[in-house]
Parts: sequence; C-alpha cells; structure tokens
Amino acid sequence: MTVSKAARWLLALAATLVVLWSFFDVGLRAYQRWDTARKDTRTELTILHWGDNAEIEIVQTLVAAFEAEHPEIKINRIHASDYDTKLNTMFAAGSPPDLFYLRYEDLPKLSRMGLLGALDDRIKADIQTTGDDWTSDFYPILLDAYQYDGESIGKGPQFGIPKDFTPLLMYANLGLFQRAGVDVPYDGWTWDEFDDAMKKISALEDPNGKVYGSVIASWPGVLWNTIWAHGGDIFDGTDFKDVKLDEPGAVAGLEHIRRMRFDDKTAYNASSGDAQGLGEQEFYTGRIGVVGPIGRWRTPRFREIDQFEWDVVPYPHTPGVKQSSALAMTAWAMSSTSDHPDESYKLLKFLCGPVGQRLTARSGLAVPCIKSVAESEDFLHPGQRPANARLFVDLIEISRLGQMPPETEFQRIMQEEIEKSIRLDQQTPLEAAKRVESRWLAEFESPLRGEAYPTMPWLTIVVCAGVLLLLVVLGLFLWLRREKLGAIDRAQERAGWVFISPWIVGFLLLTFGPMGLSLLLAMSRWTSMQPLGEAEFVGFGNFGHMINYDASFMKSVWVTTYYALLAVPFGQVLALLVAVLMNQKVKGIAFYRTVFFVPSVVSGVALATLWVMMFDNNRGIINRVLNTVMQPLGMSAPDWFGVDAELFAIPAYVVMALWGVGAGMVIYLAGLKGIAESLYEAARIDGAGRVRAFFSVTLPQLSPLIFFNLVMGIIGSFQVFTQVYVMTNGGPGNATLVYVLKLYREAFEYHKMGYASAMAWVLFIVLLILTGIVVKSSKSWVHYEGLK
Amino acid sequence: MSDQSPVQPSSVIHRPSKNRLDGHAVLVYSLLFFGAFLLLIPFYWMLSNSLKTEAEAQKIPPTLLPMASYVDIEGEALEVSLGEKDESAGTVRVTVKAGDEHPRTGEEHVVAESDIQRRLTPRWENYPKSLQRMNFMSALANTTVITVLCVIGQILSSSLVGFGFARFRFRGRNFLFMLMLSTMMLPPQVSMIPLFILFRHLGMIDTIWPLVIPMWLGSPFYVFMFRQFFTQVPEELVEAARIDGATNTMIYWRLMLPLSGPVIAIVAIYTFMFVWNDFLGPLIYLNSPEQRTLTLALNAFNGNYGVSDVQLLMAASFVTMLPCILLFFAAQRYFVQSTAASGLKG
Repeated sequence: MTVSKAARWLLALAATLVVLWSFFDVGLRAYQRWDTARKDTRTELTILHWGDNAEIEIVQTLVAAFEAEHPEIKINRIHASDYDTKLNTMFAAGSPPDLFYLRYEDLPKLSRMGLLGALDDRIKADIQTTGDDWTSDFYPILLDAYQYDGESIGKGPQFGIPKDFTPLLMYANLGLFQRAGVDVPYDGWTWDEFDDAMKKISALEDPNGKVYGSVIASWPGVLWNTIWAHGGDIFDGTDFKDVKLDEPGAVAGLEHIRRMRFDDKTAYNASSGDAQGLGEQEFYTGRIGVVGPIGRWRTPRFREIDQFEWDVVPYPHTPGVKQSSALAMTAWAMSSTSDHPDESYKLLKFLCGPVGQRLTARSGLAVPCIKSVAESEDFLHPGQRPANARLFVDLIEISRLGQMPPETEFQRIMQEEIEKSIRLDQQTPLEAAKRVESRWLAEFESPLRGEAYPTMPWLTIVVCAGVLLLLVVLGLFLWLRREKLGAIDRAQERAGWVFISPWIVGFLLLTFGPMGLSLLLAMSRWTSMQPLGEAEFVGFGNFGHMINYDASFMKSVWVTTYYALLAVPFGQVLALLVAVLMNQKVKGIAFYRTVFFVPSVVSGVALATLWVMMFDNNRGIINRVLNTVMQPLGMSAPDWFGVDAELFAIPAYVVMALWGVGAGMVIYLAGLKGIAESLYEAARIDGAGRVRAFFSVTLPQLSPLIFFNLVMGIIGSFQVFTQVYVMTNGGPGNATLVYVLKLYREAFEYHKMGYASAMAWVLFIVLLILTGIVVKSSKSWVHYEGLK
Repeated sequence: MSDQSPVQPSSVIHRPSKNRLDGHAVLVYSLLFFGAFLLLIPFYWMLSNSLKTEAEAQKIPPTLLPMASYVDIEGEALEVSLGEKDESAGTVRVTVKAGDEHPRTGEEHVVAESDIQRRLTPRWENYPKSLQRMNFMSALANTTVITVLCVIGQILSSSLVGFGFARFRFRGRNFLFMLMLSTMMLPPQVSMIPLFILFRHLGMIDTIWPLVIPMWLGSPFYVFMFRQFFTQVPEELVEAARIDGATNTMIYWRLMLPLSGPVIAIVAIYTFMFVWNDFLGPLIYLNSPEQRTLTLALNAFNGNYGVSDVQLLMAASFVTMLPCILLFFAAQRYFVQSTAASGLKG
C-alpha cells in the first residue's frame, strides 16, 4: 500500500514537472518565433515536400543556401508524411504552398483543376535576360513528362521541373545467383530465362526460412513495366475510354505475375495489407533472388545490407517486343495562385538546379535529371553499391511515359480489381481486366460525369437560409414570450442558457454550420479545389450515383456491415462477461482489472503498426501460435491481410477491437457494483441459482448500461477509420474498404466533396435509424428503476 | 486498492459450500490468468521487437525473445550473423559482428551448426536512437501542452453545460438535449474541410488553437455524463446551499464540481487518451516541424517508401503509449466506482 502510494506520488510529481517544463519549452519557442517574425520583413514563400530524413536534410540545406543568397526571401518549409492529405487540405482551404512536390501521375488531375502555374513564359524570359538556358541539360523525356495539354502528357505547357527520377529495374542478390548457378543477367534477360532462374533460386535451402526467386512489385505505378514487357498496354494513346487491359499482351503480363505467385510459387506474395513496399522489405532477409520493378529509392537502405552482395539488373523482356521502362519522378511545381510568382520561380530554379541535383545524387535516393550530374561520379559512386549504377542512366534511352486519365479513380479501380487477381487469386487476370473496364465505363455513364448542371444559386440559398433562420428565431422568441413566467422561472431560464452557452457556440460554429454546408454540398458537384461559388446543383444526383454507378460504394456498405455485425455483439457480450469475471471477490482482482483495462488506453498509429506486425503471416506471433496448434491437424492459420483477406481481414480488425474490451468492461463493472446485494439475496430466497440470478437480476439491472453501450458500439463500429487507414488502407482488393475510408477517399483523393457529403448524410441517416430502432426496442427490455 | 477488501464475509451467496468455493475459485483464476495472458501478448510483442536488431525482427519464423547468435572463436564468444548453410556438412558460414571497435568484426568463419549458441541480447540502444530520430523532447512538449489545455477545457466546459442541462428548467431544454445527443452520430470527416476553412479565416493554421478551442466548447458525450450525474445530486443539498446564499456559479464550483470527482476523472482520462493519440487533427492543422506532436513524429517513421527499422518504430511506439498506461495506473480506482456508471444510467 505504502509502496503504491509512494509510486503514485512520484508519478504525480514527474507528471507535474513534465507539464511545467512543456509549457515553458513551448512558450519559449512560441515567443522566439513571434519575436523573429516581428523583426522579419522578408517575403515569405511556403514549400511542401515529403521524404525521409535524408531528403529532409537535402531540402533544408538547399533552403538555407537559397536564403543566404537571397536575404529578402524567407522560406517556410513544410514536410508532411501524409503528403496527399496535407496538399489537398491546403488547396481546399485556398492556401496552397507556393512550391510543392509533384509526381507526374498527378499532373493531369491537378492541371485540369487549374491549380498548377505554367512555367514556359518565365523560363523564356529568364533565358532572354540572363542568357542562361538552364533546362537544356535536362534529359528531354523528363521535361516532357511535366508537359500537359489537357489530354496527354508530353505536349503543352511546362507545369513543373523534375528534381529527380528513376527508371524501374531489379535488385539482385548476387550470393543467391551464385549458389543457384545462375549468371547475373547484366545484359538483360528474357522472361523464359527469368522463369528458369527463378525456379533454380527458389529451390535453394536456407536455415532462416524459404527462399523465393523474386518479389514482383505490382502497384499501379510500376505495373506498366510488366505489361509493356509482354507487349500490352493499359490505354491506347490518350483515349481513356478504351481500356486495353483485356488484350493479350496485358493479360499475359498479369497472368505471368499470378502464375509466379500462386502456381510456381517462385515469387513472394506480400502478406500484409498495404502492398506498397512491404514485399521489398523481404530483400533484406537475403532469401529473395531479385526484387523489382522498383527504382533507385531503395538504394540507400540496401547499402546497409552487409550479409550479401547485390547489384542492379534490367527487368526481363520478351523477344520481339520493344524494350521499355516506366519512370517514377518528382518535380517541383508552382501553384497557379502563388502571391509571389517571381520569387517562387527563382526558388524553383534553385531547387531543381545542379546544387540540389548533386545532393540528391550523393544521397543515393534518386537519379539526377541533369545529364552532366547523372554522368558524374556524384551519382555513379564508384566503389559503392550498386556497381552497375550506370544501368540507371542507360535505361533512360528506352524509357517511356505512361498515359493515365486525370480521374484518379481509375488507378483505384485498376488496383482493386487487379489485386483480386494477382494478390488474392480470386479471379483470372482476364476477368479482372473486364471488371476494370466495366467499372470504369460505368463511372463515365453516370450523369454526374457527363451532364452539365446549373451552378449552385448561393445568393438565393443564403438569402433563403437567412430569412428562414430569422423566422425561426422570431417564432421562437414569440413562442417564448407567449408564456409569461415568474421572476424566479425567468432567472432559472436565463441561468440555464448561460450555462449551456459554450455548447451552443460550439454547436453553431463547429457542427451546425459545417453540417448545413455539407447538406447543401450533398446536392452539389464540387471539387473542393475550386471556389465554393463554382459548385453545381445536381439535386439527388449524388445519391443516384451511389446506387447505380459506384460498385465500391456497395462494397464499402457490406464491409462495414460485416464489421459491425461481428464487432458489436462480440464486443458487448465479451465486455459483459469480463465485467462479471472482474466482479468476483477473489484475491488480486485489482491487478487483473488493470491488465484487462490497459489495452483500451492505447490507440492510434502506434497500435496500428503493432497489429500489422502481429497479424503478419510469416513474422507475426498470432499465426506462429495458431500454426503450432493447427498444423498438426492438417490446417493452417489464415493469412489475415494476405490471400485470405476477403474473409479474414475484417475479423482481424474485430480481434483488434476485442483487445480493447476493457473500455466496455469498466462501464459494466461499475454497473455491477451498483446492484444492491439485497436483490441477489431475494433471488436466492426465491430459489434461484447463480445462472438464474444472472438472467433475472443482473441483466435487467444492467439493461440501461447495455442499451447505452449498444448505441455507442453501433455508432463507433460504423465510423471505424483510423486503424484501417493506417494498416491496410482498404486493400487488398478492397476487402477492408470501410465506409468512412471510402468517404474519405471521395473527399480527399478524388476531390468529390459533394459526393462525399452525400455519403456522410447517408451514414448519418442510417445511424439515426439504427439508433431509433434500438431506442424503440429498448422500451421492452431496458429496465429503469423508479422514474420513466 | 483500499476500497476492495478481497474477501467479504457477506458474500455467502457466492459460496454455498466449501467444495464449490474451490471449484469456483479455480475457474475464476484460470479465466483471469488466461485472459490476462492473451491481452498482454501485444505489449510483450512490442517490447520484444523493440529490443531486437532489424535482422532479428525480420526473421521467419519470428523469435519470441531478442536473441542473437554467438560462436566461440579462439576462446571468445562473439556475436555473429548467419550466412548460407551447407546441408550435407552441417556447417554454416557466419560473419562476426562484435561491434565496430572489435578487431574481429567482419571476419567470416565456417562453423558447425551445433557450435552456434543463441543468447538473450536486448538492444537497449534502440531506445535512445529512436527517440533522437523522432525528435522526441520537442514533440513531447507540444503534445503535453495541447493535451493539458484540452483536458482542462473539456472538464470545465462539459461540466458547465451538463450542469445547465441538469439543474435548470428552461423551455427548449429537452429538444436541445436530444439535438446534442444526435450530433454524436455525425462522422467528423464531413465537417473537416468547412472547419479548416473557418480556422484559416481566423488565422489559426499552424497554431495549437484549432485543436484546443473545440475542446473548450463541450463534447456531447461528456456533457451527457455530467448531466446524468448532476441530475442525481439530491435537491436538498442544492436547496441548503441556496438558503446559505450560494449563487448558481458557487453551487456549480463549490458543490457540483467537487462531488463529481469520478466523472471528472473519466472525462479527463478519455480526453487525454483521445488528444494524445489524435493523428488527423495535428496532421491537418500543424505545419512546421517544430510544432509536431508525438503521433506525427511517429508517423514520420513510415517514410514515403514503406516502413523501415521496425525495431525503432516499436521502441518509439512504446514510449509514446507509456504515458497513457501510467495515467491509467494512477487513476484506475476511479474507473470502477459505481458513481461513474450511474452517470450513464437513464
């Protein structure tokens, strides 16, 4: 007791100190910031970028160098780990960064919305005044990649200057090649030679686990390589209505991946939810022959490998098919609404210039876009791995730009359907291709796409809403006046309103206003990147689109229902049972109560990462334990977020939710403690056993709490988002596309704020109805003491 | 737990006979033990992985403890990494890894498989390394300030509003109360953009205020809890106070708040946990690196090219969730008091 008291006292002291120090620290920093800002009269530019620590350092160095060179300019550098969300909110709020990173896949989308500033005039003027044709040494194809005329990439105005790029190739574990007796294919290899080599490598033995020939990366951005290498394509030119995935070349490419993963078992199939990058991690284990098609970005991390030697080799090709490599690249682009376009251009020129490119080259992260830098030792790094670094530069010869439609939905549709084929083996590549095409065309058939609508009559709406509000307030006022109150009642009323006023303010400002706006938006088409004034009125069009044209909407409804049907009943029953267990009067129960409750206090990103590891098919503890039990019985544990995801991914999330059983448990436990002992005694006198007493006394007494927990549980399970967003992001093959995630994507990935608002209102109404049903039914089973 | 004496003589109901008592206790204990074991696995897994090397954390099948391989080389047991294995000879190629200073580091040997010893080798250095990488101290200060302000605001505003709903009769009260409850069902993602626009107009982007202000305006769930609790305070108490000349504010401050200790504790703890772990809010509103909260710093571990250094991530995650766990240990007695639950009844 004294020990625990002392511990608690120490903890309180430590907490107080931390709080005091924090306020001091933050206050001091805030003051310093304010103080420097006060004295600062420089023009401020905002730039936004992503990247790991090495990249942050590079941008920091560049920014410092630029500020030293231009004392009149101050740069506000923002780094975001969740880059797209950050960029989108900044655009949507009308305060975009002056310069930001731009992948070339995103160029059509952003350019069509008019968010990107064209650079041609400035470059031309720059050449005329300074005579410095600074873009002339860039690889032409990289500059082309950032030209867009509204239809195809490679034509039209320049919307960004590439800062780095990488072609796609493979990283090979030389040790495994040697042990398998396979020559390292520095001069390229055909798919037949590749298959042959993979079989030999997969047959090797290793004390630490199974050896795989390859890890094939297959997210949409790198899928080009495999499809092109089999003579196929995704689209025919820039006619984005004609999906070519179902033609022999593309089907052969996809089928090849599927076969290596599921039939030959020479390719490792990532078993985690997020396909991107996780399979590549396997390479570190030394049990993967080759990994690809991926780019230069893995090089710094692979350089840390010391168990084996590795190098880079080209991606396989088919004889008779023109060899080509897709590109991944990043540019600095300028916002079309920048307040300081001249300064921004200066900064952009500096950021993309040789200094920055050289720093990037030295870090090993990417290939510089300037020929003279790429061919220099800064990039080729003699003596450092990969020895074959020239391959990165050489591949530029056969590089090719893929054309993607400006609607990002296509990439999602493609990823979802193709994953179902090459990651989950649920449909053949041809079926997947057909589904991609039909879903994509359905997207275009929707009246929301093609039809023109009148713009939202905002003025009328504002006037109407204002008049309506005024009438309501007036009516309320009159209604209140109608009843004459005594002085005491009036004082009561006034005091009541004063006390609830914080909530009233919060409600009007943070809930009613935004919700009212979103109700209007639910009947509009608005991209959230444009001013609100350009929203168009579509009536109930959004709701029609949900039902008729959006296949993944119904999928998300099903996934969420599946989750709720499992999580709510299991969660409530378990919480109740655990509470009964915790109510037993045995020694040491306090300790167990703590243990059972603690899991529910942790949540968020940390928790999500932990559970991804635990559910991992190969490395996770869950399947390790399950397999020791199940394998002797001739079964194996499900690959939760891998091939068995369709059925098991949602139950995995339910297991995760059940781990937090303590939250519901404490509420029931507190309720149990409140049940009078006399009731049990009465039950015993009436001859009731323990079970009978539970059903006749405990349950009715707890029913108000059960009711409360049930309502909260339903609401919570329909709004599940963070875990899924962090852990599987809807995948694989949208097996975990929960409703709010779908809503989030519509709003922040496809920028359909109107549609997203409509979805939010559907959810709201469904929850209202469900709660209504529970409330209605509660009259028959919830037992209230005394009143009501 | 002073309020829970382990055995109460009055609980005869639960033990009609000596024999059944034993059977019952055995059942209860085995359930408790099994459940606790299951629930602690994730914590164990996190700790264990946070103390491994990356290679060890990536092993298939996974090892349960942070182990490393050692081989006796000329009388000295040195840590090694395993290379390829020769099935027929039963030997393994190993590379010595005894730290950068050790002269033998980097040497390769071929040893018999049976000579390799596995020993427990926790890598405590993962902790300082990961804390430094996420710039822990400044993130901790930011998170603490935001959390403390939010907790104070939430307690004050929710109890005020709850008091208003509970103890005053005014027209439209029930309607407003129902309206408030129904707002719990709104998915927060909807109002995200309108709210962002609002706070931008107020010039509050890249400050902590968009995260703090909403917490000072009452949250429906906590208002509900306070309201239910205040409703049950006997009217006589309030009357007595009034007769002594107490104003409404005094009744709230001197009578109601001190009475509602358990509810305050629960609101404080829930708010703390929510704010401490919030990710989307800070992501949207905070820009500068020096304003980062712990969750943002943690998320920065997931670079743009997938997770690397799982062991560092686990160490950072563990440190981040530690305050929540400590807080619970300190405040847990409030959770099981029936007064807290009575707030939810009705």
